[in-house]
Amino acid sequence: MREGQTRRPGEAVFVAFLALASLGLLIKAYGIAGFEALSSPGALPMAAAAVMLVSALVILVQTMQAPVTKDETVREHILPIAVVVAIIAITAYAFLLQPLGFLITSFLFLAVLIRVLSGRSLFFCVWSSALCVLLIYVVFRIIFTVLMPEGIVPEREILAWLGRLFGGAR
Amino acid sequence: MQAVSAFLIPFLDIQLLGLVAAGTFAGIYIGAIPGLSVTMAVSILISFTFAWPVYPALALMIGIFMGGVYGGSRTAILLNIPGAPAAIATGLDGYPMAKKGEAGEAIGITTVMSFFGGCIGIIVLALAAPMVSEFALKFQPRDYMLLAVLGILLVGSLSGESLIKGIFAGAFGILIGTVGLDPLTIADRFTFGFSELRGGISFVAVMIGMFGISEALVQLHDVNKAAVRQQISRIVPSWSTITKYLPLSLRCSGIGVIIGALPGTGGDIAALMAYDHAKRTTKNPEVPFGEGAREGLVAPETANNAAVGGAFIPMMTLGIPGDAVTAIMIGALFIHGLNPGPMLMIDKPDMFWFIVGALTLANVFMLIFGLTGIRFFVKVVETPRSVLIPVIILLSIVGAYAVQSSLVDVYWMLGFGVLGYFMKLYGFQLGPVILGVILSRLLDDNWRRAIISDQESLPMLLKGIVTSPLSLVLFSAVLFILLAPLWRMVKARRAA
Repeated sequence: MREGQTRRPGEAVFVAFLALASLGLLIKAYGIAGFEALSSPGALPMAAAAVMLVSALVILVQTMQAPVTKDETVREHILPIAVVVAIIAITAYAFLLQPLGFLITSFLFLAVLIRVLSGRSLFFCVWSSALCVLLIYVVFRIIFTVLMPEGIVPEREILAWLGRLFGGAR
Repeated sequence: MQAVSAFLIPFLDIQLLGLVAAGTFAGIYIGAIPGLSVTMAVSILISFTFAWPVYPALALMIGIFMGGVYGGSRTAILLNIPGAPAAIATGLDGYPMAKKGEAGEAIGITTVMSFFGGCIGIIVLALAAPMVSEFALKFQPRDYMLLAVLGILLVGSLSGESLIKGIFAGAFGILIGTVGLDPLTIADRFTFGFSELRGGISFVAVMIGMFGISEALVQLHDVNKAAVRQQISRIVPSWSTITKYLPLSLRCSGIGVIIGALPGTGGDIAALMAYDHAKRTTKNPEVPFGEGAREGLVAPETANNAAVGGAFIPMMTLGIPGDAVTAIMIGALFIHGLNPGPMLMIDKPDMFWFIVGALTLANVFMLIFGLTGIRFFVKVVETPRSVLIPVIILLSIVGAYAVQSSLVDVYWMLGFGVLGYFMKLYGFQLGPVILGVILSRLLDDNWRRAIISDQESLPMLLKGIVTSPLSLVLFSAVLFILLAPLWRMVKARRAA
């Protein structure tokens, strides 16, 4: 992704953020036990935060000294629309997972993302998303026995009904 | 006798045999599909297999590891897109061969030589690890502390363009690892008053965020990039071809094992060094390097698979991961209640020999799957990224949630994913972050043990370091890594 020693759009802001965060963490680390003892619970956190701060400052100086890349923009090369949509979709997924449940949230997540990223027909997005969710559900819910939130879909009842159906057929 | 029976477990247990086979098969595809990485797959897999017994979980992960290292070469040959960093050198001569209609031969040579390299790596692991672990028993807490620092620094210095960014990433990882209640004094560390943080940040969420989500987001930049497919010719190489390149592959396996065993270096560096070795030592190649030289395929492929066995040596004997994938494997062992290091080799030698057995079996399956199913493979790797990436993101979310059935972990994963994405864009390495998280506890424990045994005195600790040959070697290596870039800078300024 990198091109020589040039400064990419937003790089200085990001490194400045890292330096500030490191300073905040160093203050917080000092609050654990101060300079009480070299073996105190705060010794390693303080050392790590101090190393972070010093290295972030060095990186900031190096970044500020580097020439700016002329052919890159934040919109196209750092935060293209596809990345922004994906981050929003993941955040929405995390909020909707509990109330709507795994099946519906996952289906909506995939359908929207595939539609936005591929620009394919709605029909393609719906069937490919449904197929993927079904596959993931069978593999992880049934084979790996991972429990995901049910939400508004009565999964247990459906599974029990399917069990009775096939059990009864035998 | 006990070692032999433990070695044979994955061969004789039908479930474990199936899991190694399934893992290797999946690993080949994961390694081959650009945008999917072994690190990503193993970190997601941990979250789904943490409730399994240790043998099946390890069997699956080892299969994926072995298959994944090899799988990257296929897309490098067929599409000129290395599926993994370890396959970058393979594409240099593999793709020109494919363009000449020799893709099948290139895949065949690659597969057989990967198998050969894998065998050498496993043999060295089996012979060297018990000796190294016996030696490691003499290590003092300060040696472990120095070794952990050395591992993080090596990963930081060798895996990216900037040592200082690697140092930042390593320190950040160590800090993440200290979040929660201090196990010795029960003091709160970076909990900010939230009870959810007292147990620490789930390293699975950190791993999936850093390697799954961030990589998927980076891949979204080229979501509509189309691949060019090549025709497949004869696959299985002739016996004379194999024997012709055997001496070169033996030398490159040696390079692979040594490079793989060094903390911080993995298959990618081993492959590039072996390629360079082949280029320098092959006087009259039939086809020039860069235009389809067979030697240019043999060298990197034997080296990167030999590096797998090598990477397990520090992991199993010292508890120090060689690279990001072995760091995640150590995490998996922790989750299953095992503590990699010299004591594991003494207390549970069965575990070591089981891993050696599983690696051997995975290597055999790699040969079988590598020489078959190429046409089906070409179809799978051509799955559009616009469908593949959303599925990867969904798997990452499910994986992060599954470990503790906690939405907090999903938020952590998202946070670390976005942070990892920006770090990648701006040239920060993510390997040292994970190494830092994994080694944080080891570093903290051994630093405190070392300084307490030296009566809280730094001069006494330093005296202990300079008077012990082992500590001195480790300390010198740490200093060398830190001071070498400064020395280079001073020299460059003088020259200017």
